[in-house]
Amino acid sequence: MAVFRLGQSWDPLRDLEREVDRLLQSVNLTFHGVRAGRKYPAVNLHESSDEYILTAELPATAPEDLELTLANGLLTMSGQRRDEEEIPEERFRRQERPRGTWQRSLSIPERIQDEQLSADFHNGVLVIRLPKAPQEEPRQIPITSD
Amino acid sequence: MSIEQPDRSQHLVMAHQTDDSTSSSTERFVFTPPIDIFETAEGLILRADLPGVSLDSLELQIQDNRLTLFGRVESVMPDDAVPLHREFEVGDFLRSFILSDEVDYERITARLSHGVLEVELPRAEQAEPRRIQVNAD
Repeated sequence: MAVFRLGQSWDPLRDLEREVDRLLQSVNLTFHGVRAGRKYPAVNLHESSDEYILTAELPATAPEDLELTLANGLLTMSGQRRDEEEIPEERFRRQERPRGTWQRSLSIPERIQDEQLSADFHNGVLVIRLPKAPQEEPRQIPITSD
Repeated sequence: MSIEQPDRSQHLVMAHQTDDSTSSSTERFVFTPPIDIFETAEGLILRADLPGVSLDSLELQIQDNRLTLFGRVESVMPDDAVPLHREFEVGDFLRSFILSDEVDYERITARLSHGVLEVELPRAEQAEPRRIQVNAD
């Protein structure tokens, strides 16, 4: 995928070509690297007849590195993306994946059975199920009159 | 502390599904997954974020010198679920790479864990430099 062709290149020049390619790629990368500045992780919220379903894409996060807390109607997710080894910057030919620790809080719908909340984390996708509290029966209020 | 979500490039494709009875087409998103490539003593390591892709739904293929990864993602939502708030689309992941001669194609290995594909691309053995005997008359 050479960008430059230096005519009839001798073998020793191939490395140079690659080096040039690599430089161009990194230029390209910073161009691509203009981030949209969206919140991490991106979440979706769906509603079915009996529950709310919150989903988030969290690749590179091990279940033990993920923490979920629920307090005062606020669901807080925090964790870190796991990159086992510390890889020196100069080893990278491409670096597009986000890294580091993150935290995000979301207010959750009312009328949730807090104690029934469940979370499932598979293949880097977090699914949190928030069962709706049953509707209370309408209660008749007796009216007294003289 | 927070990290930013990269803007993943996307395009919509029509995936044609042909049944016996009716031929229908559904729209599916295809995303270019973000990747890292770094050098190790043994060669190169490629990592790609593929959330939602399982071993069964991942295809990794080498044809000639092109390495292609395709991961299919199925929605986890029940059919009757209505979206209330949406920040990302669910779709498949596709990306391909041209491998250089540096890579020993025969020894490429890959594994998938926590939604991340890791492909090891070992460097091909360099031919030993050979000393050429120069004879004088």
